[in-house]
Amino acid sequence: MANTELTELERDVANMIIEALELEDITADDIEPDAPLFGDGLGLDSIDALELGLALQKRYGIRLDSDAEENREHFASLRQLSALVAERRSD
Amino acid sequence: MDRSPHADTAHPTLYLHRWRAWLPERAGEEMPAWVMTDEKPAANSVPALLRRRLTPLGRAVCTLLGDMGAHERAGTPVLHASRHGDGHRPLDMLDTLFEGEPLSPARFGLSVHNAVLGVYSIAFDNHASMAALAAAGEEFEALLSEARGYLCDGCDSVMLVLTDSPVPARYRIPDQAPQRPSAMLMELSRANAPDALCLEANPVDMPETSTPIVTPPRLTDWLMGRCELITRAPPLCWQVTSES
Repeated sequence: MANTELTELERDVANMIIEALELEDITADDIEPDAPLFGDGLGLDSIDALELGLALQKRYGIRLDSDAEENREHFASLRQLSALVAERRSD
Repeated sequence: MDRSPHADTAHPTLYLHRWRAWLPERAGEEMPAWVMTDEKPAANSVPALLRRRLTPLGRAVCTLLGDMGAHERAGTPVLHASRHGDGHRPLDMLDTLFEGEPLSPARFGLSVHNAVLGVYSIAFDNHASMAALAAAGEEFEALLSEARGYLCDGCDSVMLVLTDSPVPARYRIPDQAPQRPSAMLMELSRANAPDALCLEANPVDMPETSTPIVTPPRLTDWLMGRCELITRAPPLCWQVTSES
């Protein structure tokens, strides 16, 4: 069922997550935009965080400092990650 | 090296309690029910978030270890031997490095030889001893040596996992690297049981270099009575001397 809450950018970022992390049986519409990506939400782990950092670099030209405190906020949800992409993309 | 005085070394006897195999190259052939031939096993017993990182070979090994209930018998060591590991995965990373591209952290993390057993251990919460071996074509012999060590140390049984996988063509040595991935699992002990097969070995006089490498398809064929099984170092001819 289509998730009408997703913007075009959120859908694009959701597809990047699915592709980069090889998530099985999940479509962009299955990712709740405000649900946590890590832990209880989508259930991603620390290696996924590194993989997402790489995917952001490849797809949107965004380089994150691996020690930055704000990374936790950027990776909190699909919506937060999409906001980061909207603000800093250089592709 | 002294190989003769100890009867158990010269004429080892082991009991095979169960075996399973994954041979996608045999799809369409008539095989026993415990030989899987799916190209990409569903591996439903592995949580999806772990399963997504496994190759078809890793999925097969986890599925078959789960089927054999290795996690239900605390203290049964799980030993995995593979000549080429997960084949393409580590070698493809060399291409990525050559091209100056960053490596995938997840793929890098799973490129080590014990990665499949690591994922299995997490998925099935199995904390038994586990080891991953490579032995330049003598992987089955290495597994038997390691297994007999654990059995002599008092373990009731040992779970053996023999796998192999193709490598990129430029690394492939003709007649040595397989064209398709495969896996064979065996539970061995030194104690007989009603359903166990007795495996006995006797020295055989032949040059070790002419002995075919023991692969999962060859082991399967041997257990199905289609070929002989000779292991190296020293050369031993194995026979199944009892059947359930």
